[in-house]
Amino acid sequence: MLEAALQGTAEAIALIVNLGAGYLFFCGMLEIVQALNVPMALVKRFGGGLKRLMPGIRSQQTLNAVALNLSANMLGLGNAATPMGMEAMRLMEAERQSRPEVAHDMYMLLVLNATSIQLLPTTVLALRVAAGSAAPNAVILPTLLCTAVSTACGALLAAAMRKAARHA
Amino acid sequence: MLDSSAILPVLLLLLLAFGALRRLPMLDLFLAGAKHGLRVAVEVLPNLAAMMCAISLMRASGLMDALCTACAPVMQFLGLPAQVAPLAFLRPISGSASLALLEELLNAYGPDSRVGLVASVIMGSSETVFYTVCVYMSGLQHRKTGYAVPCALAGALASMWLAGVLF
Repeated sequence: MLEAALQGTAEAIALIVNLGAGYLFFCGMLEIVQALNVPMALVKRFGGGLKRLMPGIRSQQTLNAVALNLSANMLGLGNAATPMGMEAMRLMEAERQSRPEVAHDMYMLLVLNATSIQLLPTTVLALRVAAGSAAPNAVILPTLLCTAVSTACGALLAAAMRKAARHA
Repeated sequence: MLDSSAILPVLLLLLLAFGALRRLPMLDLFLAGAKHGLRVAVEVLPNLAAMMCAISLMRASGLMDALCTACAPVMQFLGLPAQVAPLAFLRPISGSASLALLEELLNAYGPDSRVGLVASVIMGSSETVFYTVCVYMSGLQHRKTGYAVPCALAGALASMWLAGVLF
């Protein structure tokens, strides 16, 4: 019993060494991604489509916060994405005071963030390398496909719920 | 099978090329990011230790096997290996616990086995739904999440099913 508990803790220390290698490397590279302003470039390119997903939002400031949150999340910039997402939620709540239907756009943002839209599964890759995989990268495309499906399913369902609520 | 072996090196090369083109101080940037990564690793360790303790005890007491056996019919219906049941169950709830489970599965069955591949894709393609929703709602006055959580969970379930189809 004690043996099992201590063994678990020891394994955690071994695991953090492998995980830490991935954290250090990818966080370092992501800092360059951020310095290149990639999230902003993504916003400019794909920002238009957001209006159709979240038709209740009127203010450009809110839309920008949402777009930055989503693009930072896609790139795996979790520490940049979360504060931006919370800011977007605050702005949407302010808009909701005058137009209650913005609640649906808030639900949509939650669904998009909670269905994982990350493009590169960096942590999983680090663990696969550590476990001695012959092809650690073999999961990248399947993961991308599954991520896309989960986000699409979640967003479609949320859009259907919005429609149902309007007709109710 | 989909071949993804070239994606990562190509992306990293592109990143370095663009950085060089813009004359960014890339070493300084890398060091600043890596420092942040180190802090994340240190902060995660106690969580990980607690979760791996719990998992190790579940394994030693036979609870884990019992859980896998109990979930086997559901997993079979979804076309997933029975061994990933605990991971599929814990993934939406706890990031550290699912990470610990993934590491165990990779070591026990091998990262290139069907169990290892399916587990990797499940881990990488879904999110800690409950935690994410909590964080995003935390700054607000009205904390109604409406249909957000069921929709996100349905999306996660769809991607888990697809992971089983792909491998």
